[in-house]
Amino acid sequence: MARHSEHSLGSEFFIWDLPTRLFHWVLVIGVAVALYTGFLAPASWLGIHLFAGYAIAVLIVFRLVWWKFGFEYSRLAALVAAIRRLPQFLPALIRLKPPHSAGHNPAGSAMIALLIATLSLIVVTGFMVEGGQEKQGVLAGVLDYAAGSTARNLHSLSANLLLGLIAVHLAGVAVETVLQRTPLVRGMISGRLPLPLHVVNPAPRPARPLAAAFILSAIAVAAAPAALALLRLPARGVPSAPLNLAYATECGACHNAFHPSLLPRQSWAAIMAHLGDHFGEDASLSPATAAGIAAYLDRNAAEAWDTEPANRLRSVAAAEPLRITAAPYWIRKHAGIGAATFAAAPIKSKTNCAACHGDATTGRFDDQAIAIPPTQAKGP
Amino acid sequence: MTSRLLFVALLIPAIGVAALASAGRDGIVSALSAQAKQDNSKFTSFSAEAGKKFWFTAHVGGKSDTPSCVTCHTKDARTMGQTRAGKAIDPMAVSANPNRFTDPEKVAKWFGRNCNTVLGRECTAEEKGNVITYLMSQ
Repeated sequence: MARHSEHSLGSEFFIWDLPTRLFHWVLVIGVAVALYTGFLAPASWLGIHLFAGYAIAVLIVFRLVWWKFGFEYSRLAALVAAIRRLPQFLPALIRLKPPHSAGHNPAGSAMIALLIATLSLIVVTGFMVEGGQEKQGVLAGVLDYAAGSTARNLHSLSANLLLGLIAVHLAGVAVETVLQRTPLVRGMISGRLPLPLHVVNPAPRPARPLAAAFILSAIAVAAAPAALALLRLPARGVPSAPLNLAYATECGACHNAFHPSLLPRQSWAAIMAHLGDHFGEDASLSPATAAGIAAYLDRNAAEAWDTEPANRLRSVAAAEPLRITAAPYWIRKHAGIGAATFAAAPIKSKTNCAACHGDATTGRFDDQAIAIPPTQAKGP
Repeated sequence: MTSRLLFVALLIPAIGVAALASAGRDGIVSALSAQAKQDNSKFTSFSAEAGKKFWFTAHVGGKSDTPSCVTCHTKDARTMGQTRAGKAIDPMAVSANPNRFTDPEKVAKWFGRNCNTVLGRECTAEEKGNVITYLMSQ
């Protein structure tokens, strides 16, 4: 497919095969979407972030296979050989007289290795955060919240590292484009670059797309059943039963029946012990009903579950340990929402979780299930 | 023919349910009436007028956030009310909500809670009967 004679036009040489170029530009889009949705967009965009992450994962798997079967300059062997020339290349670069390279120059090759390694780390930790913290995706049945939290730290750290690497990568492209008058961006679009004949490999190894397709299919065939089996596992520590009927009826008569996982045991016990003065109202229940509800709340309090809200809302406000909306985590997560929005119809109250959280009664509180409804200012 | 039969078939249970509801309400009112007589020998019958006054009065002794019945139930008992936490309350007027005051346990529970919240004490049988009589007239 990539016979040399066919691809050299005058002093322009065929360097980047089509799969590598497509990989590059689709990855650019995927990383841009992932960075935007990860750093800037509201939490409800998590679905798009995950989609970008899956796409990047597929691209990386493809690229690792293409390291073996791509055209000469897309191969791992070329990358390694270039990195080995780094000790001679760097001093020349410092003198602003870097030698021409076909394909990535040694510094660029090192950058590619770093980018692929960092992206792989981001993707792997991303799957772990998705499973452990968000209780979604292939690892939801395997990882607990603590593992997801550790992965979350690495995910953020490596995403910040990626931002730095991208900046250096772009700077490197700019330097080579200017210093050597090599139009690298155009090269990554057309595949061809003007180069001195002596740097071009006289016997480039051709791409083997059929072999790559075979290996990629084999990976897909092996991974699909494993992924499906993992997806069938129930999410770890996620409540699945509907709310207790007595609890939903009695407590839900006056306010949203908060999922029991949103307060720790001690808080529920204190609430149930003082129903006669319940946030300024008498909410007394018959002893039998109260005992049944208290037992239900104790069995299903924050300590009993491993969802994100259950984990985070175990820490209550010292001054108001009974009020979910006073918990530091609750306040932090709702900081961007003004008092007027909470007061306006159809929300009306901070306690009306279900107005914005479509899955509030399940206790999951998925990021994707958040939709703040259009509000009308409160009438006179 | 069929539709007429269907209408009758539906009407009979509807009347039955309404009659049952009405019977439940009568039972609650007569029990309150007996209690009111026991509490006060001069008591004769419940007054919708007194019930209305009680319903609208801003009471003292309870929680400052909820001085009156109409704080949550609104000034028109035929419309939906709203709890302090924003939850909707079905209308209290029997005309708008025929199931009101038909379940003695429910009536006891809510008078128990709300009298304590609004007045800081239990309501007397006479007060409860007056309120129910007023809401039956709405």
